[in-house]
Amino acid sequence: MPFKTQKHDTAQTLTLEWILQVKNYKLALDKDQCVGCQICSLACPKGAITLIKQPKVTGEATKKAKVDIDLAKCNFCGVCDLTCPYGAIKLTFNGDHSLNVVAKETFPELIRDIKIDTRNCPKECVACKEACPLGQLKITKVTFDGKPVANFEALSPSERKHVVVNIDIPKDKCPTCRACEYKCPPGVIKMRKAFEGKIAVNQAKCPPGCRDCVDVCPMTGTLTVGNGKVEVNEATCTYCGACKVVCPVPEALTLKRTKVLHTPIHSGTWNKTLERITSPADVAKELKAASGLNAKKAVAKRFSKQEEFIR
Amino acid sequence: MSQPEAPKQPLQQPEPLRVGVFVCHCGLNIAGTVDVKAVAEYAKTIPDVVFVKENRYTCADPGQEEIRKAIREQKLNRVVIAACSPRMHEPTFRRTVSEAGLNPFLYEMANIREFASWCHQNDPQAATERAKDSVRMAVAKARLMMPLQTLEVPVTNKALIIGGGIAGMNAALDLAEMGFKVYMLENSQSIGGHMAALDKTFPTLDCSICIEGPKMVDCARHPNITIFAYSDLVKVDGYIGNFKVKIRKNPRYVIAERCTGCGECKDVCPIEYPNEWDMNLGTRKAISVPFDQTVPLIYAINRDYCIECFKCTDKCKDRQAIDFEQKPEEVEIDVGAIIVSTGFDVYLPYDMPLLGYGKYPNVITSMEFERLILAAGPTGGKVIRQSDGKKPHSIAFIQCVGSRDKNKYPYCSNFCCMYTLKHVVQIKEKYKEDVEVYVFYMDIRSPGKGYEEFYDRARERGANFIRGRVSRIDEDPITHNLILHSEDSNLGQPIEIEVEMVVLATAAIPKKGTADIARILNLSRDANGFFMEAHPKLKPMDAPTDGVFFAGACVSLKDIPFSVSQGSGAAARAATVISKPKWKIEPIISIVDETKCKSCGVCVDKCPYGAIRWEKGKPANIITASCHGCGTCVAECPQHAITQMHFTDAQIMAQIRSALQDKPEEKILAILCNWCSYAGADLAGISRFDYPASVRAIRVMCSGRVDKEFILEALRLGAGMVLLGACHLPYDCHYISGNYKMKARTDALKTMLIKLGMSPERFRVEYVSAAEGIRYAEVIKEIDAERKAIGKEKIEAETAKLKPVLENMLKRWKKP
Ligand SMILES: Cc1cc2nc3c(=O)[nH]c(=O)nc-3n(C[C@H](O)[C@H](O)[C@H](O)COP(=O)(O)OP(=O)(O)OC[C@H]3O[C@@H](n4cnc5c(N)ncnc54)[C@H](O)[C@@H]3O)c2cc1C
Ligand code: SF4
Ligand code: SF4
Repeated sequence: MPFKTQKHDTAQTLTLEWILQVKNYKLALDKDQCVGCQICSLACPKGAITLIKQPKVTGEATKKAKVDIDLAKCNFCGVCDLTCPYGAIKLTFNGDHSLNVVAKETFPELIRDIKIDTRNCPKECVACKEACPLGQLKITKVTFDGKPVANFEALSPSERKHVVVNIDIPKDKCPTCRACEYKCPPGVIKMRKAFEGKIAVNQAKCPPGCRDCVDVCPMTGTLTVGNGKVEVNEATCTYCGACKVVCPVPEALTLKRTKVLHTPIHSGTWNKTLERITSPADVAKELKAASGLNAKKAVAKRFSKQEEFIR
Repeated sequence: MSQPEAPKQPLQQPEPLRVGVFVCHCGLNIAGTVDVKAVAEYAKTIPDVVFVKENRYTCADPGQEEIRKAIREQKLNRVVIAACSPRMHEPTFRRTVSEAGLNPFLYEMANIREFASWCHQNDPQAATERAKDSVRMAVAKARLMMPLQTLEVPVTNKALIIGGGIAGMNAALDLAEMGFKVYMLENSQSIGGHMAALDKTFPTLDCSICIEGPKMVDCARHPNITIFAYSDLVKVDGYIGNFKVKIRKNPRYVIAERCTGCGECKDVCPIEYPNEWDMNLGTRKAISVPFDQTVPLIYAINRDYCIECFKCTDKCKDRQAIDFEQKPEEVEIDVGAIIVSTGFDVYLPYDMPLLGYGKYPNVITSMEFERLILAAGPTGGKVIRQSDGKKPHSIAFIQCVGSRDKNKYPYCSNFCCMYTLKHVVQIKEKYKEDVEVYVFYMDIRSPGKGYEEFYDRARERGANFIRGRVSRIDEDPITHNLILHSEDSNLGQPIEIEVEMVVLATAAIPKKGTADIARILNLSRDANGFFMEAHPKLKPMDAPTDGVFFAGACVSLKDIPFSVSQGSGAAARAATVISKPKWKIEPIISIVDETKCKSCGVCVDKCPYGAIRWEKGKPANIITASCHGCGTCVAECPQHAITQMHFTDAQIMAQIRSALQDKPEEKILAILCNWCSYAGADLAGISRFDYPASVRAIRVMCSGRVDKEFILEALRLGAGMVLLGACHLPYDCHYISGNYKMKARTDALKTMLIKLGMSPERFRVEYVSAAEGIRYAEVIKEIDAERKAIGKEKIEAETAKLKPVLENMLKRWKKP
């Protein structure tokens, strides 16, 4: 069989494939999971990803932008997979999701720093679950002898006391908005945002009645309309930029990412990606921090020896 | 770049003409039929003839001495030798006259043997008349002849080989061993060509890279060879012995001098892409070499895929071989000869949907099979199905896919039968009884040393040979097995066979880029797109452009042994040029009169050799060293600004007038091209085919030279019939396409003449090959019968009617 490339676009998924006699590369975009932010298009080293704004239909909510990937440009490196905050893109080789760019340390993985300690969980509480704007946080409860609890109400009070609560957040899909954390009274969940930044809306510039950004923002409550004006609650913002993509007036909405939490890396591809996702200044900061770290380490090494010597 | 000076020829000889005529008896060959004495007596009466001598054998030493003596003693400044065909002894007598101090281009031959005594044996009187006329015609031309100097150009004794396949490598190694500096241009990353991608080679089944690899390394190591791999040909200027070649070295982003070929960068590179060397069955890294034995062993980054992580740069460390800033670099080299050995491509039958290639996973091409069965290939030598990774239990090989197909590639691809037999033997040896093999073929062509025996060997392995063309392949969607529909033409009935894998022996086709190379080097291509040789039989390795030679599959498909031989052959051909300090050029070339040229550019496309350079507004310029002297441009130039030396308009017009001096209406005026029709007429004489003696023949080098004016003048003078002899279309023309240019010109002319009232039979173009003596005789008989049928009166009436128009058209020839 000769080398074959193919692209399938269904309502659910966009699939790109390289089919070789001995290998199969498959890049699949889960359209439900995708929010139409711009991160992947900024990350792609080949400029293969574009966002297509969807036409507005009067009376309907604004639709998120559609992601399209150019089969001729894509080289199946998987950088998009690694940077998608929502885990909407998956690259597999012969069905196996182990990426060369990770193995060869050319691209970092996002750190979704999520700590869950369910010992303090009130047994009947489901606040976090309800807070999750993407509905992907799952709570499971098991009895002391390990049986799943089907109906909590049906348990006796003593049984209720011994119930063990498990909170499950899919680590490859969570955009770390922290909504669950805020809603959790006893502080069971602790997380750091994978992307840090700044978002602001200049209401004076907003076209009257426009709520495009509000419609597409996947984080319920981050953007709201009050008094006919768009308001921002930055606490749950993931800085993904889905809003920025659809905003009709460039000056109305400013979004800046300043930092990405990721595994340590030394790679040109990542520096360029980071430059596009944040800004050149932020990259310089990161590089300085890294070299500072290296310098500190080197100094520490030498001093530890000197200290020994002095002693 | 300067070009050699075209000869400045004096237009008129100042001294009075002193023509000497030598009439040969050729024993009884001429004298047996022609009254030689009468011819000699007649010659004495021709104006300007001051000396006439008969010889028994002019070409023998005493005969030649007579000529030399007469030139010296009689102060002859023109010599006419009435003897055999100029195709026989023209060079001999050129030497003779120049030994006596006369310019060799001041002598002319009158063919009175092949063209008189031998072909009119039944009519000695007419033969004698024809001989007399021939002498008169020769004198007429001789009067206007001019001394010409053979040209010499200096030669750069280096060669360029374009394409480093097995053919090109052999050419390079041979030339390098002879002591010449050789540049080898290869546009892919490694030399080696197709052979480097093959597993084993028929009929001996030796491992391909094991026998080719050492040669590749020899090329890289040879002190006389410089390889430019990953480079393209940009431009070639100049001419034989003096080519200026511009090459673009494409950036590898790896500094060649620093790369040690260790491959550590490849190990850290995260990016893979389909490896074209593996027919894209497997992958290679963004920084890599296509295969382990790559020569020159220099890594390259494919920036189309690289994501610039710089891991390779880190890994390469102190060697610092990686340079992302590298730019394309152009180099210029001087060479004296060029060998083109760019090979072929393999046809991928995506456009034959009934065979399912690209659609059904288990249909592959033979080249893909070659990569699968190769131990170093992407599957480690396992022939497996793409659909399930399992080995097939039945394979069908289909021959002539695209080849010998009038709708695709009409020609036979030469080596597919043999490599399929090889594949049959290989797969049978690998999977033994486990695999059933079918071969669908049209004919098995095995004409080579040990080839038929190899066919026997394949049959002994128990393969089923079925004669028939597969019309359709269907796939079982569940098993991905393939169902072949064909006809068994031996049984004469349709058959259907289910197999687990299909291998298509697809056509070998002209290499991508052949058109560019053809444009840069001014080469022509044949109907199928391969390069066209100067002569398919006698000059199979010569390009029409002097100093350019061919080797290997780029001219006509050939297998490895033949490609190797041609490589050595082309090296020898190239050495004939670059071993000389100077290159001699025959002065029978064309020159442009810059004062007459109006810079219309018409001639440029008419020259079969691309020898004419032209810029709008400036006079056309013929590259002397590239001109082959066909004279096509001369006949095409609307300003009559071009002159072909030794075959000038004035000389040929003088011959026509002389030929039609008496009783023109009874004559057939024949203008014959040197290489086919004149040779065919010679053969008629040699074979003693008798034909009417009413014909008067004039020799030109190419039918392309025949100006419309020649035909018009003959008719104006009242010639009974006019014949124009040419080489057969499409490929026989010695000057590639002179006959085509002539045809276009004369088709229009004939239509016009008929409109003006000429009987259509009176002007005829005939294609006669050098082997068709009998045909020439028949043609003359036919024309003569037609002449008689039309009759003297009608011819004279037509002439009277045509004359005023023709005279008007021939105005420029009116004497002041
Ligand atoms: C499937 C298959 C199996 C075969 N098996 C056998 C066998 O067993 N035995 C046998 O005798 N023969 C076999 N052959 C035939 C064999 O491959 C050819 O005879 C041989 O390769 C011809 O050599 P070549 O040098 O003329 O051309 P190629 O091998 O095609 O080499 C041409 C070279 O020129 C280079 N080139 C092309 N264009 C340019 C350009 N514009 N500028 C610079 N460089 C250029 C190419 O990159 C290449 O390196 C097989 C062929 C096929 C398709
Ligand atoms: S920079 Fe490019 S070639 Fe080098 S290792 Fe990275 S992807 Fe491979
Ligand atoms: S057309 Fe013939 S004569 Fe004229 S320049 Fe070309 S090769 Fe020479």
